[in-house]
Amino acid sequence: MIARALGAIAVVALLAAPVVIPRYHVTLLLPAFAYGIGLLGLNLLFGTTGLLSFGHALFVALGAYTAAALTTHFHILHLETLLIGAALVAGVVAVPVGLLCVRYVKIYFGMLTLAFGMLFYSFLYKFYTLTGGDEGIRVLRPRLLGQAFAGLDKVEFLIGPFYYYALAVLAMATLLMHRIVRSPFGLGLRAIRENPDKAAYVGVAVRRYRFYAFVIAAVFGAVGGALLAVPTGLADPLLAYWTHSGNLVFMLLLGGFDHFLGPLVGALVFILLQDTVMSLTTYWRFVFGAILAVIVIFFPRGLLGLLAWRREPTA
Amino acid sequence: MTLLEAVDVRKFYGTFCALDGVSLTIAAGQFVSIIGPNGAGKTTLVNVLTGLLAPTSGRVRFKGDEVAGIGPVRLARLGMARSFQLVNVFPGLTVGETLAVPVLARRRRGGRLLASLARDRETWSDVAEIAALFGLGDRLERPARTLPQGDKKLLDVASAFALRPEVVLMDEPTSGVSTADKHAIMQTLVQAAARMGVQAIIQVEHDMDIVFGYSDRIVALHQGRVLADATPDAVRADERLIDTVLGRSYLAR
Amino acid sequence: MLGGAFHAAVLFLVSAGLQLVFGVQKILNLACGSFYALGAYLGVSAVTWALGAGLPAPLFVVVLIAAGLALAVIGPVVERILRTIYDRDESFQLLLTFALVLMFEDVIRFVWGTAPHQLGNVYLVYGQLRIAGSTVPVYNLVVIAAGALIALGMGWLLTRTRFGRIVRATAENREMSEALGVDMHSVYARVFTLGVALGTVGGALVIPATAATSEMGIELIVEAFAVVVIGGLGSMRGAFVGALIVGLLKAGAIAIWPEVEMLAVYVVVVAVLVLRPTGLFARAAA
Repeated sequence: MIARALGAIAVVALLAAPVVIPRYHVTLLLPAFAYGIGLLGLNLLFGTTGLLSFGHALFVALGAYTAAALTTHFHILHLETLLIGAALVAGVVAVPVGLLCVRYVKIYFGMLTLAFGMLFYSFLYKFYTLTGGDEGIRVLRPRLLGQAFAGLDKVEFLIGPFYYYALAVLAMATLLMHRIVRSPFGLGLRAIRENPDKAAYVGVAVRRYRFYAFVIAAVFGAVGGALLAVPTGLADPLLAYWTHSGNLVFMLLLGGFDHFLGPLVGALVFILLQDTVMSLTTYWRFVFGAILAVIVIFFPRGLLGLLAWRREPTA
Repeated sequence: MTLLEAVDVRKFYGTFCALDGVSLTIAAGQFVSIIGPNGAGKTTLVNVLTGLLAPTSGRVRFKGDEVAGIGPVRLARLGMARSFQLVNVFPGLTVGETLAVPVLARRRRGGRLLASLARDRETWSDVAEIAALFGLGDRLERPARTLPQGDKKLLDVASAFALRPEVVLMDEPTSGVSTADKHAIMQTLVQAAARMGVQAIIQVEHDMDIVFGYSDRIVALHQGRVLADATPDAVRADERLIDTVLGRSYLAR
Repeated sequence: MLGGAFHAAVLFLVSAGLQLVFGVQKILNLACGSFYALGAYLGVSAVTWALGAGLPAPLFVVVLIAAGLALAVIGPVVERILRTIYDRDESFQLLLTFALVLMFEDVIRFVWGTAPHQLGNVYLVYGQLRIAGSTVPVYNLVVIAAGALIALGMGWLLTRTRFGRIVRATAENREMSEALGVDMHSVYARVFTLGVALGTVGGALVIPATAATSEMGIELIVEAFAVVVIGGLGSMRGAFVGALIVGLLKAGAIAIWPEVEMLAVYVVVVAVLVLRPTGLFARAAA
């Protein structure tokens, strides 16, 4: 009951934010939404299936660059098209990468995903004629549902129509992921996480399911990446760097990987925390490292784990 | 009808011979126990029969199809299930969820991405039915790791049975269970098998009370070869066999 | 090519540290790049101070190595932190070392600032040689030789000393070693410290050739990781061969097609992970 009430309050707060909260903080929520979508995907892999990817940033970057290329090079400005494009490109790339990666588990999976992430990073960085090198590619302001909102300046656009658009995409992504996790497929993934050998013995096609989870995670990551790039107006190579993947996992752990809403909470708290800490000290990395260490050692279930909302505990 | 057969199966690990020409036929309606001292090749034989291990030579057929080395997932689809000596559960899943996984696999609904599992009445009624047969019906919501050891064993076997296989292969089904509970578990197993249409049961077992109490047929393995393949009475009467396989101490009982 | 060998020598040192720690404690220590960076920065500071205090130039290398070794004191401290999660899932261990990476990055920034630190040309005091048409600083050859020596030394340590035997036994079978009375905490602390020392000394030694920059740690972990994958997790020989391969690959790539420098390394990493996931010298399985 408390959960429902808090959830309702959160929804109302998010809907009212652009009107009630100072502009600056509203613009902070935008990357939080984008990361939330990307993390929903990562958690399908980690929380649900038990695979920790250290290369999820690859797909986030892929989404951002797809959106950027579509707007800058192909002059396609409809955000719907950008998001679908990002999803498709990520899906296509995720097929060979996923087929390779899901053959391995645990540390090898982590290493292989890290390697692919860095492979993409070096490609983005070095092939500057194609990718803009370390300057990246710009993302032009997209049209939302066909509307250009030309009368609004950048900030007004972002905290107005774009905010609600992103929130809507987040809501849809959340509902979709919820469906997936609560489906027979989702149960199969959890069985794989709990005991992959036994799962095989009771008829679960382990490798195939892991592969599907990988591709789905990639698609969510890319959609998040595309949304991430719109406010900054730029897709740059650092999005694919391994430390960015590390931060994604950090966010997941912060929110709580064994609760469905953990990714969203984690993204939000991380972004707000980062902003607060950065304004207090230049040594924010140290603070964040310390926070991560504390979480890993003492609170591995994250914030939502502390609040003990989950139904089924993980092994 | 022959359900499962091994034809002249040999398995070498490097130069070490684990199975040396084992042939075996299992037909419908049989309860077969495989016995033998440690190192006789029982586990290797079971791994070969269940498609986990490909034999170095020889064939394994299930309902006429070659199944050597096909792996557990495809084997489950074909209708053979296996349970393990060491209790093997999904610690974080509930009893109901544990049983739902094989039920979904059997109904070919496991891969559905967007369907709501909670609303799948047929699956859940199957789950309830199977759970009831194994005495777990009142605990569907409990996480598997909170069950006592004996119930975990039952859950493990129940999840194999939930595939509604034609042949079930159990690796020491009563190991780790107290003597008082052993027979209760075996009774549950046999009754459940009958109710669920399991046509043949193969078990690897060390406990001779259980072996003699429930088997139609006993296959004794020794150093990778079949030493005897006969009825319990015939085996009991064969002192030399008992000596080799079970040791003097058994004879002294 | 010799540039490649120089780079390889340094890479070997760091990777050897990584391998040692992984082989024994089964932790992939992402912070090894941080130790490398620390060694580099302290090396610069120490030599600059020493030269200013009147140290004869040719002895600078001693100061470098001493700086590296001195930093090894953080080994036991870090190990103590990692000890809290030895029994957890590897993902958590990896994340804890990532947390350390973040923290060390700012420690360096705090102490030394964000501008690169250089040693200048003091290493030229050893002179240069002309080999095969290019000019090579003798210092580089010294480092290569040092790398090879340390490799031999590690080999001797692991195979001929009691400590080495204990380390290898623990790597093979932890429970058994514990049951046989080996003091795990002590072994782990010493192994980890040795791993740290290899990293810090490696960082210190590379300093004359490059500047100490704030990204060097993070960049290095990525290369060290490539070495470890190619060579095989947990294998000392693998660290040696892997470092050689990566060093030469990089040198070759820079000479032939600069764009693909790291790309080439990563393609090889992916290829190795796919074709032979346990690396060239498979030892510890994962």
